[in-house]
Amino acid sequence: MIELKSVTKRFGSETAVDAISLTVNRGELCALVGTSGCGKSTTLRMINRLIEHDGGEIHIDGRPIREFDGRVLRRRIGYAIQSTGLFPHWSVARNIGLVPRLLKWPAARVNERVEELMALLGLPIEQFADKYPAQLSGGQAQRVGVARALAADPDILLMDEPFGALDPITREGLQVELHDLQARLQKTIVFVTHDMDEALALADRLVVMKAGRIVQQGSPLELLRAPADDFVASLLGGDDRGLKEAAITPVVERMRPLSPRLLPQARVAREATLHQALAVMFRERVERLAVVDDDDMPVGEISLRGIVGVARAEGRDR
Amino acid sequence: MISRCLKRWAVPLAWLVLLLALATGGEWLEPLLRWSEPEARRVLYPQADLLTLLLRHLQVVAIASSLAVVIGVGAAILVTRPAGRDFLPLVAQVASMGQTFPPVAVLALAVPVLGFGTWPIIVALLLYGLLPIVRNTLAGLEGLDPGVEEAARGMGMGAAQRLWQVELPLAAPVILAGIRTSVTVNIATAALGATVGASNLGAPIIAGIVNGNTAYILQGALLIGLLALTVDSFFARLLSGRQ
Repeated sequence: MIELKSVTKRFGSETAVDAISLTVNRGELCALVGTSGCGKSTTLRMINRLIEHDGGEIHIDGRPIREFDGRVLRRRIGYAIQSTGLFPHWSVARNIGLVPRLLKWPAARVNERVEELMALLGLPIEQFADKYPAQLSGGQAQRVGVARALAADPDILLMDEPFGALDPITREGLQVELHDLQARLQKTIVFVTHDMDEALALADRLVVMKAGRIVQQGSPLELLRAPADDFVASLLGGDDRGLKEAAITPVVERMRPLSPRLLPQARVAREATLHQALAVMFRERVERLAVVDDDDMPVGEISLRGIVGVARAEGRDR
Repeated sequence: MISRCLKRWAVPLAWLVLLLALATGGEWLEPLLRWSEPEARRVLYPQADLLTLLLRHLQVVAIASSLAVVIGVGAAILVTRPAGRDFLPLVAQVASMGQTFPPVAVLALAVPVLGFGTWPIIVALLLYGLLPIVRNTLAGLEGLDPGVEEAARGMGMGAAQRLWQVELPLAAPVILAGIRTSVTVNIATAALGATVGASNLGAPIIAGIVNGNTAYILQGALLIGLLALTVDSFFARLLSGRQ
């Protein structure tokens, strides 16, 4: 668990972070969002003491971080950044094993851990272990960066726009992978991004910052439904907010059992989001869709009224 | 394996062979040298001396360059650490001044203090060779990818670990290039030492000037040129082997 209590950071006369308080619970993915220069990266870097905070207190698992030696603290906290920061003169395997070696793990255990992580992040060992960072694609390099951050199995992971420099398709793929990874590993993650869709898709808790202060925090749905002010509303996409909400709500949430009525031709996958269901309806010019499982078998149906959220009223009419 | 190694080092080795041939048994050069100086009684500089002079020459350059590397790289590392950063402009300027100061002038100033012999030329070469080393080490260390440094810190590496495992290995090609320039220039400049009594490959040149014997001058100049080429091509191999 990470706790920030009225944490402040000044650079000269400028206040980069202004008395912010924030709690990130164990196993939670907290996304810091906001415009450039709002203090989100500074906040992140104060947690592993790459930047020292001037005021307030930061606690990790109840202990103030100032109690730790900076290096010891950072070896306990995973860190992944946009530029990956892989060492160009080291092979992939050596890069990944950096923190375990700093922690003086025996060589055999380091190797074992490196192999485990490469498997976890979909990097075949025989193909990648001896490659150098310059030989990797952007997405592969970022995987290695994440593997390196996870190497010593830290409880906490700090990620500073890790997917910011990637093309949209690679980025989306890695977002899905991070989501799955997080479901399995249950790390405490603080994630800085300015890609709102990324934040909405990944975050358990969304923290909106502006000029060094927290404007609003809560679950993505809470913020989408009740933005605190115009700034939050526009950051979340203005009138597109509704569609963004649809994009993070799974179809199954609004799905109804198959009715005796004729099954619609148009269909949507069970794992899809309401956003995708709406897109199919719009494209097929229909108001009802069959919801199908992986084998294309119908498991329910969804209607436009159901998506918009008048399902209960509709049900009562019958 | 051995043949591949030989192939890689073929160019530097070829220069070395040519250099040694000229230093040990240059009789075959006599007709050529005779042509340059038909009147002189002797055209071949006493051969036994040439090899000794070559070794002395190398020795002087080696001492001066080693000192320049230790001082130059050391100073550049110090002023790129947080504690020494205030001295960065000072060190950069002192190094530049070292090179603007003509080695001849340094020799003239050093002789009264250090006496005749080898030491004045070592001091002159040290000062003269410092700039390329300092400048390249600074460029190499300052030019590192900030993302790499951020990651090194963020992973929990200490200052010494970052220096030895990340910064120096990554800056090494640039630093080596500076050392290469410094050493090559110093091989040529070291000949000046002969004017203040250091015995090195400058000796045949001085003797040639004094006696009006162009053949001596040619031999000294050829040997110095070949030595510089040999050392330079060794460095070239070393640098390209790293990439």
